[in-house]
Amino acid sequence: MSSDLKELKKIEKDADQCMKCGFCSFFCPVYQEEHTETSVARGKNFLVKEILKGNQEFTPEMGEIIGKCLLCKRCVANCPSKTQIDRVVVGARAQMVKDKGLGFIKDFAFRKVMSNRKAFGRYVKLASKFQWIFPKGEGNIRHLPDFLKALGQGRHIPAIAKTFLRDQVEEVNKPQDGKEPKMRVGYFMGCATDFIYPELGKKIIDFLTKRGIEVVVPKEQNCCGAAIYFSGDFETGRKLAKDNIDAFKDVDYIVTACGTCSSTLKDYKVYLPDNEDQQKAYEEFGKKIKDATEFVVDVMKVNLDELKLKKEFEGKTATWHDPCHLIRYQNIKEQPRAILRALKGLKFAEMPNADLCCGMGGSFSVYHYDLTKKIADKKMAGIKATNADIVVTACPGCMINLIDNVARSKMPQKVHHLLELVE
Amino acid sequence: MIKESLIGEFEKIVGKENVLTSKESLKAYSYDGTSSWIHEPDVVLFPTSTAEIAAIMKIANAEKVPVTPRGGGTNVSGGSVPIQGGIVLALAKFNKIIRIDKENMTATVEPGVVLMDLNMALAREGLFFPPDPQSFLGATLGGIIAENAGGPACVKYGVTKQYILGLEVVLPTGDVINVGGRTLKNVVGYDLTMLFVSSEGTLGVVTKAELKLNPMPPARKTIMAVYDDVAKAGENVFRVLENGVIPNKIELLDNWVINRIEEMMPMGLPKDADAVLLFETDGIPEAVEKETEKIVEIAKKYGATDVRVAKDQAEADKYWLARRAGFAAVFGKAPTVFAEDVTVPRGRIPDLIRKCKELAKKYAVEIVVLGHAGDGNLHPSILTDIKNKDHYDRAVKAMDEIIEGAVELGGVISGEHGIGLEKQKFFRKIENPKVIDIMKGIKALVDPNNIMNPGKIW
Repeated sequence: MSSDLKELKKIEKDADQCMKCGFCSFFCPVYQEEHTETSVARGKNFLVKEILKGNQEFTPEMGEIIGKCLLCKRCVANCPSKTQIDRVVVGARAQMVKDKGLGFIKDFAFRKVMSNRKAFGRYVKLASKFQWIFPKGEGNIRHLPDFLKALGQGRHIPAIAKTFLRDQVEEVNKPQDGKEPKMRVGYFMGCATDFIYPELGKKIIDFLTKRGIEVVVPKEQNCCGAAIYFSGDFETGRKLAKDNIDAFKDVDYIVTACGTCSSTLKDYKVYLPDNEDQQKAYEEFGKKIKDATEFVVDVMKVNLDELKLKKEFEGKTATWHDPCHLIRYQNIKEQPRAILRALKGLKFAEMPNADLCCGMGGSFSVYHYDLTKKIADKKMAGIKATNADIVVTACPGCMINLIDNVARSKMPQKVHHLLELVE
Repeated sequence: MIKESLIGEFEKIVGKENVLTSKESLKAYSYDGTSSWIHEPDVVLFPTSTAEIAAIMKIANAEKVPVTPRGGGTNVSGGSVPIQGGIVLALAKFNKIIRIDKENMTATVEPGVVLMDLNMALAREGLFFPPDPQSFLGATLGGIIAENAGGPACVKYGVTKQYILGLEVVLPTGDVINVGGRTLKNVVGYDLTMLFVSSEGTLGVVTKAELKLNPMPPARKTIMAVYDDVAKAGENVFRVLENGVIPNKIELLDNWVINRIEEMMPMGLPKDADAVLLFETDGIPEAVEKETEKIVEIAKKYGATDVRVAKDQAEADKYWLARRAGFAAVFGKAPTVFAEDVTVPRGRIPDLIRKCKELAKKYAVEIVVLGHAGDGNLHPSILTDIKNKDHYDRAVKAMDEIIEGAVELGGVISGEHGIGLEKQKFFRKIENPKVIDIMKGIKALVDPNNIMNPGKIW
């Protein structure tokens, strides 16, 4: 094999941790649908080790196997030998991209579109023209970026905003009381908020500036890179990391309301570093990142009792969906629940298996939409069991998938971001 | 290698999507939970009915192709490794709970049902299946029956064989038989049900099982007792029992394991203790209270330096999590680990522990002890490195002597893992040749072409 296996060697120690007990099968949403050993962490890990030993090549099937993982980390959270299978899977994807290159569609989407913010915006705009005919007019969007293509598989899709968030907000937003700011916070929009949920972005800026915080929204900020580096394109991932690190200077914290973005920005250090300088830069950057839920509860220490519920949610029952990127990537579990419980006039009902992945998994749902639907069916069963009126979460990625599946299952629930509930 | 034309036959039986032949898939069915046994099959099949399995067996028998049944692949004996290639009969998709009968306290299941899924379904009916192999998150009932699995709760509840009322089995010839039944008592001729329980997949494929259940105990309590001498802990086990209390679990962790667990997840275990025993009592609340008091009293009387009763379920869960982490702690610390499964009569536990300590000194290797002290089933584990020849050779000698020592103490070479491939050399050495001949005779009668999981046990 001509490959230097550089990316794989970085995760060799992780791969060696697995003692093949097979307990991961119980927690793996993909295994629970497919019941095959190649679906689950143990099998993937074994095959990656075979590549390291020179007994296995990066065949197309191997690509399929390491691609078919939601990176939900449920197995990692329950692994008796603490194997970081997410690192193994992502490392293997990176090695494959390095050796084989991304496929044409991915190449097009990631390298040419998603890493160029303006071009990405144009494509999304283009998509917005087709948004009402997506389910029928699949052919029209063949050349659109990855996740937008996914939206064309007969999904119930959220409307794409007429005006993106980036075109609606100022770069510097002073505290509303006109006083000296208590702190200076960078707001990281994330693609979904920028292009689909701009109101959510404005809401956060309002929430923070109301409470004496100065919010800067650098226009140079880029995509967080989740869909890109989790797919193994570390080269583009590092470029995005650099863009984002350069965009956010001189702020106390960097806050985002997207669970995937906050974990992705924090974890540049886990997956991407190629040298010590990068390691250091990513670590420094990661320290400043806060998900909005933890920022409100742990950093601002907002008196939750004074939070006001928006009128339209008065008397409603809410249930909470734990995004993988909050509960397992960042250990954020109690903060959003504390907010929900504190909101007067709202009833909170815990759903069974709240921590179960919704089935989105970024580009996973592009290639395995049928599996996504099956996994989401289990989530829907949990939601139904609560009789809640609204499903609340804090990741626009999950929101897109939950909205699709609630509609597909003909359920009455509306899906909201946690901060949408707050006055 | 299997004939190409057979693949098409199998596709007709189970459907194309349930036949795997890619190099990657075959590799993924080449292993089980052991570290040393790896062999690829020629094809992996996923049948989902008795009829499909019967059809597959007929072809395999006619063509003399080896068939290795596999459930969750969590076993630690090499039992589900297709050591002679051929077919892996993957039963993970044949996984329905057919019936839970509350009145008769029985359940009827297909072989691919995972124990944890079964117990979750049973819990909703106030029932449970008592045998508790610690691989319950992945182990399937078919595998549990084939290995006659057990776990900590064996002290009070016994092992799998005590909970199997009847089986439907596809024989290697493709014939389907029913053995046993649905009643608690059944003495109709030879007890053939027991022949298939612990047969390690060498006699046929269990396609349906009738399980005996127990009512879920409404209360439970966990007690942790600390000892400055691991042999004292061993003695405490039978002192508690001879004083009339049968806890449902008595588990032992030695000093080394305690410290590794504390490194992995600090939870306040006493790091200077030579050993810890974890007891669990279960039953009706009043009885649980009394039994807990009694255990505390006996433990103190016979040398425990500290005894703690978990104040709530959260604290109890913490201790049991530590126990489950024990094995990971061992495996994470050395490139090669021999995890033994010797079992001695309960009263000889202190002798076995002393023996392990002597051997650790004699051969200068680390031997750690953890396991189901309550039933004499210890898992002395030797830490070594297969790449370090001198060390590895010493470890092998130490293991040989542990096993001989256990047998001298009136014990057996495997309490719950089975022989498979892992313990063959000891089995041949220790078991009476006449007994092995009878086993081989039974095998030849049921499986004349030797296609069922060949190469295992002897």
